[in-house]
Amino acid sequence: MLRFALNRALSAGLMLLVVGTVVFSILFLVPGDPAELLLSSDGITASPDAIASLREEMGLNKPLLAQYGEFLVNALRFDFGVSLIDKASVGDTIATRLPRTIELILAGLVLAALTGIPAGTYAGLRPGRRFDRIASAVNAVLISLPGFVIGTLFIYIFAQFLRWLPAGGYTSFFTDPWLHIKQLTLPAITVGLHLFSIIFRMTRASVLEMRGNDWVRTAVAKGLSRKLVVRRHVLRNALGPVITVVGLQMGILLGSTVLIEFIYNWPGLSGYLVTAVQQRDYPSVRGVILVVSALFILINLMVELLYSMLDPRIRLE
Amino acid sequence: MPEKLVEVVNLSKSYQSAKKGLFRKSRIPVLRNVDLQIAPGEILGLVGESGSGKSTLGKAVLKLIDADEGDIVFDGQNLGGLTTSQLRARRKDMQIIFQDPYASLDPRKTVRAALSEALETHGLYTGDAQEPRLEALMKMVGLSAEFLGRLPHEFSGGQRQRIGIARALAVEPRFIVADEAVSALDVSIQAQVLNLLADLRRDTGVAMLFISHDLSVVRFISDRVMVLYLGRVMEVGPANDVHFAPAHPYTAALVSAEPSLKPKGERIGLKGEIPSPMNPPSGCVFRSRCPFAIGACDEKIPELRLIGQGRYKACIRDDILKGAE
Amino acid sequence: MKSKRFSIPGRMVLPTVLLTLFVGTMFIAPLIFTFDATKIAVSERLAGPSWAHPLGQDGFGRDRLARVLYGGQVSLTVAFVASLIALAIGTFVGLIGAYFRGPFEFIAMRVSDVVLYFPPILLALLVVTIFGPGVTTLVAVLALLFFPSFSRIAYSETMRVSVLDFVEASRALGTAPSRIVARTVLPNIMGPILVQFSLTAAACITVESGLSFLGLGVVPPAPSWGQMIRSARTYMEQDPFGIFVPCAALFLAIYAINLFVDRLRDVLDPKGQLEGKDAVSATKDGAGTPELGEGNVAELRALTLTLDRGADLPPVDLVKDVSMALRANQNTALVGESGSGKSLTALALMGLLPSGIQPTSGQIAVGRKAGTPVDLASLAPHAAEQVRGNDIAMIFQEPMTSLNPVLRIGFQMTEALQAHSDIDRAEAREKSIAALQSVGIPEAASRFDAYPHELSGGMRQRVMIAMALLAEPKVLIADEPTTALDVTIQAEIMDLLRDLRSSHGSGLSMLFISHNLGIVADIADWVVVMYSGEVVEEGPTDQILRDPHHPYTRALLESMPSAHEDLHSAKGDRLDTIKGTPPLPHLRPSGCSSRDRCPMAQPVCATIHPDLYRATSGTRAARCLFAPEAPEHLIQKEAV
Ligand SMILES: Nc1ncnc2c1ncn2[C@@H]1O[C@H](COP(=O)(O)OP(=O)(O)OP(=O)(O)O)[C@@H](O)[C@H]1O
Ligand code: SF4
Ligand code: SF4
Ligand SMILES: [Mg+2]
Repeated sequence: MLRFALNRALSAGLMLLVVGTVVFSILFLVPGDPAELLLSSDGITASPDAIASLREEMGLNKPLLAQYGEFLVNALRFDFGVSLIDKASVGDTIATRLPRTIELILAGLVLAALTGIPAGTYAGLRPGRRFDRIASAVNAVLISLPGFVIGTLFIYIFAQFLRWLPAGGYTSFFTDPWLHIKQLTLPAITVGLHLFSIIFRMTRASVLEMRGNDWVRTAVAKGLSRKLVVRRHVLRNALGPVITVVGLQMGILLGSTVLIEFIYNWPGLSGYLVTAVQQRDYPSVRGVILVVSALFILINLMVELLYSMLDPRIRLE
Repeated sequence: MPEKLVEVVNLSKSYQSAKKGLFRKSRIPVLRNVDLQIAPGEILGLVGESGSGKSTLGKAVLKLIDADEGDIVFDGQNLGGLTTSQLRARRKDMQIIFQDPYASLDPRKTVRAALSEALETHGLYTGDAQEPRLEALMKMVGLSAEFLGRLPHEFSGGQRQRIGIARALAVEPRFIVADEAVSALDVSIQAQVLNLLADLRRDTGVAMLFISHDLSVVRFISDRVMVLYLGRVMEVGPANDVHFAPAHPYTAALVSAEPSLKPKGERIGLKGEIPSPMNPPSGCVFRSRCPFAIGACDEKIPELRLIGQGRYKACIRDDILKGAE
Repeated sequence: MKSKRFSIPGRMVLPTVLLTLFVGTMFIAPLIFTFDATKIAVSERLAGPSWAHPLGQDGFGRDRLARVLYGGQVSLTVAFVASLIALAIGTFVGLIGAYFRGPFEFIAMRVSDVVLYFPPILLALLVVTIFGPGVTTLVAVLALLFFPSFSRIAYSETMRVSVLDFVEASRALGTAPSRIVARTVLPNIMGPILVQFSLTAAACITVESGLSFLGLGVVPPAPSWGQMIRSARTYMEQDPFGIFVPCAALFLAIYAINLFVDRLRDVLDPKGQLEGKDAVSATKDGAGTPELGEGNVAELRALTLTLDRGADLPPVDLVKDVSMALRANQNTALVGESGSGKSLTALALMGLLPSGIQPTSGQIAVGRKAGTPVDLASLAPHAAEQVRGNDIAMIFQEPMTSLNPVLRIGFQMTEALQAHSDIDRAEAREKSIAALQSVGIPEAASRFDAYPHELSGGMRQRVMIAMALLAEPKVLIADEPTTALDVTIQAEIMDLLRDLRSSHGSGLSMLFISHNLGIVADIADWVVVMYSGEVVEEGPTDQILRDPHHPYTRALLESMPSAHEDLHSAKGDRLDTIKGTPPLPHLRPSGCSSRDRCPMAQPVCATIHPDLYRATSGTRAARCLFAPEAPEHLIQKEAV
């Protein structure tokens, strides 16, 4: 088990290195001068002076390998340089904003798991019955609604029309816990709904598949009660694949959260990212993407370890 | 020794272990130093338990997989020296029939497409000659020519197996590997296919490597039998002799374990389980399960030696299983 | 010969029509009516629906219908083109990587992995930062984002397909690799790739509209749905309709595609359609107390099992009129070819029939250690649980899948014990280890904590046997327990099963299912032969095997190579065979079911369906008009 864990951790480390390298080199893969590329828009080229000063600022005049080494070392120290726009430290900005993004995603995940797994199991055990038909139909609708569409509609319905909850914004929990929770509710449900549709679907499919297995028949032949058969021989086996899919889905979720944070004015990483992209603030974009990708890789590492605890065969792989 | 059509010399093959460490790569040996010869028109039976390397040997003989070492000589020509395109041309002479009648035919190709692919590849019976040839092939395997336009799912397992045989015969091969070709069939269908193979050998003079785990089937169809255990040859000899008077303890155990309608003598039981091919016993690989093992058995690997007319065994003891000599 | 005509499966009609209609509207409507999506009319800003502007006007007074339609054109074109590029690149990379392996494989898969490790929208943003927004950038980004999913699928599907025997057969024929890839591999992996294409198109629409919503995708004045939602947000309070229109369009597009994918998947993968099936069908409550003959521990009387084939097809009897008695302390063998109904008969006895199959007539009776006999196929679930595993137990053919792979063996054994008695953990453990020892498992105490995959097939079958006998049932059903095992292991398991009767304290009756008469000779006192869902002959083992009365039993024996040690193919000997193949249950011939394969069939066999005739003296029975047991008058009357 320990061996397996070390093995996976090592390959996650390698993956991080590769991701870092790609993020670093993507600017240089494009033909032409990177500084010129970043400053030009709609075919209008920037002045030579501006280009020269940007080269200086981003250290583009140093040899490539030296830049690469510096980039990696600095990234390990959580130092991603300074923003091209306001010269603020990218690392510091991320450190303040990242916890808010994580809070939002965790809240959505908890909501989705607490509802999606029981609903998926129930539907999977009685396929074609009324609950399954209704839940699956609703789910088909949910899965077809992008997060920012749900968010926009929610704001209209719950904030503008019904006026139950604030349309957005952020207040620190320590300043006003109640307001914090009210402001968290809509964004968290929006994040959660999409995740719910994926968890529901996967749990249902996995339960359906597992319950047709030979060992389930063995369990029934032993005389186990239906409750135990489902809990030990269907659900236990079905959870592994669900967790894996949720882990992989985290990548997409981290991305779509950008839009949801933007809609609700939730000051997580994404407002920062969107502004940075609009202003073509390359160091900031690079920093955020590096951190989020690292997070994604870590989540998947945890998923793998969790799965291996659920299914002993994985450790052999 | 009769004239040779197929000769395999000192063949060894290992697979990459699925258990991959990040730094350590390990290989599982599945065939070790196997020699065999097959004469034109001869059927050599190959038996052994699952995991003994039967299918690997069958595919390696056809060069469908590459061996780690050893030579395969077909009709005097070393296949190892051929370029890929020369080898593809040579495949006209050597064919294969598979075990699973459901996986061996492309679900999307009609019988006609499957059979004509064989002909077109080697430029045989082109143009107007093709259709009569396809009809003749169908007749040869006992199917109606009407079936040519059908897709595999419209056939039963036995019929599919016949189509697989027709595909192999289409290019008029001189050698066929039949890998568990009747194992997936019910007894009544199995008998039909066995008879068909026997007729084909008689009529076309094709040689075969007939792989099966069923000793009675192998005894009935083969001229000679070769017994494999953990990738090594244990015994070779004429089919009836090996079956009725096994010389190697492993063969004896296999024969005595076989279910039979008649009451049989005392069974030769084996100890323990098949060891992992990763670390087989030293000396005789069968040592850990052999009821006749003695101290000397772990000293060196017993060589396959001549013990009688056309009979070979890889066992150091001559004082057991007297029936053989 | 009927050729297979191309047709759209019924389930595909609705999504196909929906999708065509939707796409058609986007592209054809602007051709018929003249719309201007960019004409600004500030005085009419946020106007409601009117004749000239059926969906109203936006914040610049532009016609909303026109913008939705043109926006749809842009979104759908971007999505389609990007998905197509991703498909082409991804499939090529995956196919080459999997078929040619080696360095191709490494490069193809690693590149895809790296892309997959970036959250999609973020990667898109990274590229937009460098190149600036615009439609071309968008297509390039989307293709980059989604090609890895194609290469992964193409890769794994090719890996799956290229080891299949029919691809190997093409290689063995000497067919050129390029032709194998194009003609054999590609058509067989196209299904999943098509599914992925539709999924990708839906995902592209989502990402594109998201980016446009952020102002980083399609740049104004070109219309796009994401952009429309973005600008309508500003006037949300005055004009909610402005939000709903593009949202609805976006939703409909994605929904139509998703529906299409779901149905396509069902059609391509028929396994999906079986998914409604439970391993075990629900039993209907009812039935009084069945009777059990003197000296019998379980009994079937004229049992018929019927498969419900849905509303369109008539139900079919898979097992017909089967009677059978398991006597105390006797081993009964049930033999027959594949599909003859052996397993179903046994499962009916256990009350474990697959869903869709129900007993429609006859009686099932299982004796209990204490209490009256029961019919498990129609007993209430809770009552049945107390009988299964306790009074009657079963072991199955596949030792590799019959144990739950994620639970320890010890746990699976003790839960069986605890289901039937109030026994504490320590005692259950002790009993289980003793049971493991009694079936010949060495180091039982440490094996108790092992997972199934840590044991060989033979050992797992021993575990299954030990587990089945834990609660000391009177009846053990063994459905082909050695078929998946090697001969030497098979012989050991057979020894174990044979010894059970003497070692099992309170006596044991076994129903042993096999297709191999050789194995049966070894273990059974009594043999029942099935053919096409019916019992065709039964009697004491030695009599049946020595002197079969039914032509089918005789032919079965004749076609076994092991029964003919004097024959050899090289001498010109051939095995006796039964011509043809067994009929499918719904295509049984009239009269005698064995008729079209029977070497002794007479014209009369086509008109009379023979009963299972029982000898007046002795115990044998056979279902043949010409069997010694058959009443003579039958044939004479018909023959004249
Ligand atoms: N779940 C099912 N749904 C529909 N038909 C079924 C099902 N299970 C079995 N059948 C059909 O019932 C008939 C008898 O099947 P059964 O499994 O009892 O045969 P068997 O004698 O056990 O065969 P084998 O030797 O292959 O195990 C066959 O025609 C089979 O196709
Ligand atoms: S060499 Fe020894 S161990 Fe090997 S088969 Fe002969 S007697 Fe058995
Ligand atoms: S009744 Fe006729 S067809 Fe049926 S088994 Fe007897 S002889 Fe054959
Ligand atoms: Mg069966």
